Amino acid sequence: MRLGMVIDLKRCIGCYGCQIACKAENGTRPGTTYARVLKREFGTYPNVKKQSLPLLCMHCGDAPCIEVCPTGASQKRSDGIVFIDADMCVGCRACMMACPYAARYFQDEERNYFGVGMAPTAYEVSRYQDHQSGVVEKCDFCRHRLDQDKEPACVANCMCKARIFGNLDDPESEVSRLIKEESGFQLNAEWGTDPSVYYLPAER
Amino acid sequence: MPSTASKPTANKDDVWIPSVCGMCYNQCGILAHRVDGTLVKIEGNPASPYGNGRLCARGLAGIQVLYDPHRVNYPLKRTNPNKGIGEDPRWQRIGWDEAMDIVVEKLAAVRDDDPDKLFMTGTVLSLAPLNHTLGTFMPAFGSSNILISDGHQCGNAEHILARTLHASVTTNPDVDYTNYLLLFGCQPGLGTYYAMTTMAQKIADARARGMKLVVVDPYLSTAAEKADEWVPIKPGSDGALACAMLNLLLNEYDIYDRGYLEHHTDAPYLVGTDGYYHRDTDTGKPMVWDLAAETARIFDDEDLVRPAIVGSFKLEAETFKPAFQMLKERVTKWTPELASEITTIPIDTIRRLAREFGEAAQVGSTIMIDGVELPFRPAATLYFKGAHGHDNAWPTSLAIELLCEVVGASNVPGGLLGTNPVAFGHPDTKLPRWQPKASKDGLIEAGTLGKNEPMGPSSNWPPEPTGADTASLIDLIGWPITTCTAPATLNDPENFPSITRPAVLLNYGSNLLMSAAQPEASFEAFKDAFVINVNIYSDETAEALADIVLPDTCYLERLDPVPNWLRHHHPVGLGDWGYQIRQPIVEPMYERRHFSEVMLEVSRRLGITETLNLATNLMYGLTAPQSLAADEDYTLEEIGDRIYQNWFGPEHGLDWFRKHGVLTWPKQVEEVYWKPFSVGRAQIYNEWVVRSGEKIKQIAEERSLPGIKTDGFVPLPDWWPCRAFDQRPGYDMQAIYYRVPWHSFSQTYSTPWLDEISQGEQYSYFICINTQTAATKGLNDNDLVRIVSADGGNVEGRLRLTQGVHPGVLAIANNGGHWAHGLPFAKGKGVFFNQLLPMDLEHMDLVSLTMDCDARVRIEKVGG
Repeated sequence: MRLGMVIDLKRCIGCYGCQIACKAENGTRPGTTYARVLKREFGTYPNVKKQSLPLLCMHCGDAPCIEVCPTGASQKRSDGIVFIDADMCVGCRACMMACPYAARYFQDEERNYFGVGMAPTAYEVSRYQDHQSGVVEKCDFCRHRLDQDKEPACVANCMCKARIFGNLDDPESEVSRLIKEESGFQLNAEWGTDPSVYYLPAER
Repeated sequence: MPSTASKPTANKDDVWIPSVCGMCYNQCGILAHRVDGTLVKIEGNPASPYGNGRLCARGLAGIQVLYDPHRVNYPLKRTNPNKGIGEDPRWQRIGWDEAMDIVVEKLAAVRDDDPDKLFMTGTVLSLAPLNHTLGTFMPAFGSSNILISDGHQCGNAEHILARTLHASVTTNPDVDYTNYLLLFGCQPGLGTYYAMTTMAQKIADARARGMKLVVVDPYLSTAAEKADEWVPIKPGSDGALACAMLNLLLNEYDIYDRGYLEHHTDAPYLVGTDGYYHRDTDTGKPMVWDLAAETARIFDDEDLVRPAIVGSFKLEAETFKPAFQMLKERVTKWTPELASEITTIPIDTIRRLAREFGEAAQVGSTIMIDGVELPFRPAATLYFKGAHGHDNAWPTSLAIELLCEVVGASNVPGGLLGTNPVAFGHPDTKLPRWQPKASKDGLIEAGTLGKNEPMGPSSNWPPEPTGADTASLIDLIGWPITTCTAPATLNDPENFPSITRPAVLLNYGSNLLMSAAQPEASFEAFKDAFVINVNIYSDETAEALADIVLPDTCYLERLDPVPNWLRHHHPVGLGDWGYQIRQPIVEPMYERRHFSEVMLEVSRRLGITETLNLATNLMYGLTAPQSLAADEDYTLEEIGDRIYQNWFGPEHGLDWFRKHGVLTWPKQVEEVYWKPFSVGRAQIYNEWVVRSGEKIKQIAEERSLPGIKTDGFVPLPDWWPCRAFDQRPGYDMQAIYYRVPWHSFSQTYSTPWLDEISQGEQYSYFICINTQTAATKGLNDNDLVRIVSADGGNVEGRLRLTQGVHPGVLAIANNGGHWAHGLPFAKGKGVFFNQLLPMDLEHMDLVSLTMDCDARVRIEKVGG
């Protein structure tokens, strides 16, 4: 089994719901956005298009972050999920240099959301217990949710149902069908890391 | 995940509680996860039709409102005697006893003097307590002075037409079936708008199945980003485009739905040269021309064979024309060439849009849904603030609406739907129930639940102009549901010497200084009043104006038995009805108290409980045994329990809702696609506007009110330039605002997760200018610039060069630029657009009391 995600750029409206769904699920600190969105313009007025591009860890089949990790903290499960064992991470950040998709975030200091000098809120006290300082963090396809038979938070919440999660190895799965029938593509496939996240074109 | 509230396990508090969001006016269903007394996560509630388990960024981020360290936690009293924008109020913490004594004393004094000297305003984000207080406390107190600061927010003209054409308050397109959706300055399910979270799912499905989306907007908005075609337009000219499209459909392409117009609109009603319907002398009912008998008959005459909708007919030497003929003639001057000059849209594009829309409507086609054969008109328009936020709001909105009416794409599958104007009620109780009927003139009369539904459609249409003694002008122009006219009239004592002035302003969390227009106008209007501010923040309005601040609960700390508006929070189309509960996830922290409970206590101490209970019965349609007794005090829980039991039976009381969160049942085809089964006709020709306009003119002349101009009271579509439209020497651009899907007005700028989005996104905290325009002006990306408004104030901000904006336009997102001491996180983020807008009747459409929400401006560089 190889778990993967399809993001339909036609359905996506660039609302940033995924970014916040991820924050709400994972309780990450300021500046850490396992899920994020880029916006870019193409063309010249009035023939111009704007495109939103949701990003997350690509859970590469050939993951350079794992190769460079000196401690073995960055690992891959048998179902293809790339994750970091925080207890093994020494915060050397080699993986951040290696990752071409900028999907990793170093937890350099214990920052809180309401700013310098502000105590953490009760929410932050509760949620930041799950996060260590001095380590690198990233999307793990919400492993803890998968264990409870739930989809990753960004998939479950997407208002436009632009994200589909499933088994890339199963030709009958929805993700496999969409990739095949709707011209699914990997982002910068030429980088050769074989991402498990596929995109469907915005125009089709 | 459980969809119902679950019990704490063993010794650990770990529950999911169903409740309702409060981060925008849509109030979607949520599940809140509480662990050991702390709210740790908010998700959408899959059992709720308000979102179906999916939330927007704002809804997910609500935790940061609950735990915001900058909230107001205790009653505060102003100790700085000087009020003013930027003044430090020098808040002094006081106890609730002292605060209540002050509030009750002030209210009792004003009630003894003149109850109308109490003004109330509030924020629609805290919708349920606002609605409850507007509908119960204000009538019980005896004041009708309500202002909802609708500058940028509310529908105004759209609400009026939703009433006359759709028997509702708002509209949404039936994207379950629409094949062609034409949006004018709005973003349903694509950025903002009613039922956003559910509409987003529906529109994504529609686009995936091939619905064509065309977005007319000066700015490449979130909606335009997803459009198959973005049509940039000069702000304020949408009406010219719609008039030209009507002209093409009716006079060149010959595309219209004769059957719909004959039976479901006033198209056949004969109109005289005086502008009024030709009426039967005995019954007073409108007449039509019977083509078979070649004579005039009453519109509902049983012998009528076929009414004429085109032509011209002579009766006793006078000429009468059917309303539809009047429309055809009215739009003839709107050639595509003329509209192109005004809108800057190419002629060929205008022609193509009209043809595409007309052909997509498939006039004559039918569809079977759930065994019922219905007209099928899969083309719809929708418009909102971008199109109607101008002082030509009325004729513009009418033109856009009539595109759907003429092709019959109104309240049938695929067309534009009124938001739930027909409700048969819960299967067991047949409640809550409302249904439109026909007026004596045969026109649509909206149905209502209770006799006093705040911000619901008026069932007595139109309210008669009787005077000009209210600051909001509701005695003169009583049909707009919301209005922020008060600052304009209060600041103009020369023209309005006799209006009742505010002695006390009860402000339920509205940041009036930022949401109406220039803050100076709202400040000036209320600076002499005693201002009671009930709020979660010490915001700009509180700091400038408030004498006392009462700490409110946020939506996660309180009970609201009817959290949703009955009609337009429900998504349109088939699916489920859903009635929800908002309940506390955590008990109110510090000394925060629920506004609705505070007002119950205030009412008791004022001795108005009897009228309050009566008003509550009327508002919620409570009948025995659940109606409130006149002489008893009730808690909010008891009132909520009675509402639920009254509507849904004894088994569905407050406890049931606390446990289950939402009660749903399927909508019926005849509720959703009600038009074929209805007797009330939509108004193409707005005789009521002619009649009201003449009456208003008469009152204005009698009272010497030169500021009340009635030129805009036209019965048919038209277009004229809004005040910001034409260049004035030195002022060569128009400034507009737009909305992003992750902020609500100015109220979410304190929420760090949402700020993090704007910080990472390159437009929303900047002033957007077209790249080529910037080049001609020698301006560069990230320049610090000042925008100087010809009629309003100035704002500064950083420039963002983009290809995605009309060359004559500066675009600003929402309303940022907070300056309150009490909002340190939000302070200075984004740009405060409303500073550019003047607040006066000159910049308003008086038919709908809509402000001109764009500004004629120039731009100057301040720094690199």
